[in-house]
Amino acid sequence: MGLSEKKILIVDDDEAVRDSLRALLMSAGFSVCDFGSARAVLDAGAIEGGCLIADIRMPDMDGLELQEELNRRGSEWPVIVVTGHGDVPLAVRAMKAGAVDFIEKPYDDDVLLEAVRRAVVSRPRKLEVTDTDKDSKARLAALTARERDVLGHVIAGRPNKLIAFELGISPRTVEIHRAHLMEKMCVKSLPELVRLALVAGIEPAPATREQTN
Amino acid sequence: MPQSNRSRERLEALLATAVDGIVIIDKAGLVQVYSPACERLFGYTSNEVVGRNVKMLMPSPYHERHDDYLGHYRDTGEKRIIGIGREVVGRRKDGSTFPMYLSVGDGSFEGEATFVGIIHDISDRHRAEQRVAELQSELLHVTRLSAMGQMASALAHELNQPLTANMNYIKAALRLSEGEHDPVLVRELLTKAAAQTTRAGDIIRRLRDFIEKGQSVHVAENLNEVVEEALDLALVGAADANVKVLRDLAHGLPTVSIDKIQIQQVVHNLVRNAIEAMQGCRVAQLTISTRMQDRGAVIVSVEDTGAGLAPDVFEKLFQPFVTTKDTGMGIGLSVCRSIIEAHRGRIWAEADAMTGGTKFMFQLPVREGAVNGFV
Repeated sequence: MGLSEKKILIVDDDEAVRDSLRALLMSAGFSVCDFGSARAVLDAGAIEGGCLIADIRMPDMDGLELQEELNRRGSEWPVIVVTGHGDVPLAVRAMKAGAVDFIEKPYDDDVLLEAVRRAVVSRPRKLEVTDTDKDSKARLAALTARERDVLGHVIAGRPNKLIAFELGISPRTVEIHRAHLMEKMCVKSLPELVRLALVAGIEPAPATREQTN
Repeated sequence: MPQSNRSRERLEALLATAVDGIVIIDKAGLVQVYSPACERLFGYTSNEVVGRNVKMLMPSPYHERHDDYLGHYRDTGEKRIIGIGREVVGRRKDGSTFPMYLSVGDGSFEGEATFVGIIHDISDRHRAEQRVAELQSELLHVTRLSAMGQMASALAHELNQPLTANMNYIKAALRLSEGEHDPVLVRELLTKAAAQTTRAGDIIRRLRDFIEKGQSVHVAENLNEVVEEALDLALVGAADANVKVLRDLAHGLPTVSIDKIQIQQVVHNLVRNAIEAMQGCRVAQLTISTRMQDRGAVIVSVEDTGAGLAPDVFEKLFQPFVTTKDTGMGIGLSVCRSIIEAHRGRIWAEADAMTGGTKFMFQLPVREGAVNGFV
């Protein structure tokens, strides 16, 4: 089945973001159906959707709740979650709940389109072991204990400074560990890293020294 | 023992043991009695004061006016301080002044009109009040900074929307223009992209308005004190960064008419940036200096020994969203520039050829009224 035959569904409460995303997807040859709220998606009922791109922060019902509701209704749509600044913990939750990918705003168009293609073509329902993930455990084994610690905090969405505080090392050292582990895990972006780490069974590290999250 | 001797002894015992200073003057203002406590308060011995005009214990302008006050009371009988008491300022032998509570009573002594002044030193109370005021101002400062932090975070989120939309429209237009395309559609996409840029600009303008119109109060301040306070605050938690701090603050700078909190925000920002720039550096030295520039301006500089900035970064350093930090938003320095420009000043950065680090400087006008046009 060709890429263009299935609609890409977009849900975002910001009209400009929604309209521009539709323009971008259409310029890349996709057909698009967009919604201004999570409720509108649910009301639309059964659409032959290629994938759903959902903004995580929306009033009323957010992207995460929408995803849970779709799961409950047995939806087949692969969900790509779009997050804003500092929403990594939310994105990790979304991925654990079955989102196939997450993308940080503002994003590169190639990154977004690649994620959409991957979702439409392979239709991974959730975090499944695919070809690229097969050796994730092997890559993980190459990490030092410290790099593994840092990884746990990175996928918990903590910034370098906070990780440094948690581990009692300097932020500069965290940066170096982070660069090394990205290299060893063969990933270029945070979403890729989170995805791979979750597939490999790494859990986000709980905060030990923070008072509140 | 004669009665008069007994009462004189009692008076002397009273004067010698009273904790508060007691001064008795005649109607011309000449000191008749000067108690031992006064010697401690003013630094003059009794011999130096008794028989002389009491105005020697007062700083200007009371020093010049006291004779007139006495004359006014003599002529009109109008009581301004007598029987009431108030906070005034005393002048010590070394010329320094201190706050005191003075209560004055009038009566007659050995047949002559006299005035009795009781002097209570309130320096301690003043110091305590000053400290409270300082702490309040610090608290205000911290509150303001944290409000700024929260705003920056909210702003980051808000700006994401137009930036994302802008990028989408432009990339869509680019994609379309690569093949056979409808120029009207491409044009439409680019027009929408421009509108999103305007939207982002409006958000920044709101931020500037918040800073510039947000109850800015310009008061004559001692620049060195302002800088030092901000520095101390910015260095909190920097101890583990092993940064050596050099203070090179010029003496005798004129006061500057500024919004202290805002200027401290700028200093705070520059110092934190400098510390961050030196993370992991072998030599980490922060130099903060103030100096007079000709043409009625003072300059504050914050210098680090970090790795320095790329030449192309310098030009756009103070623009919003330009950052060299992994997690930076590129907002701090653009806010700094708004503040300094609102003070009719200038802010810029230079590379330091000697250390390889970076030197941030800002200039503020000295002349009073130079910032009056700013509301």
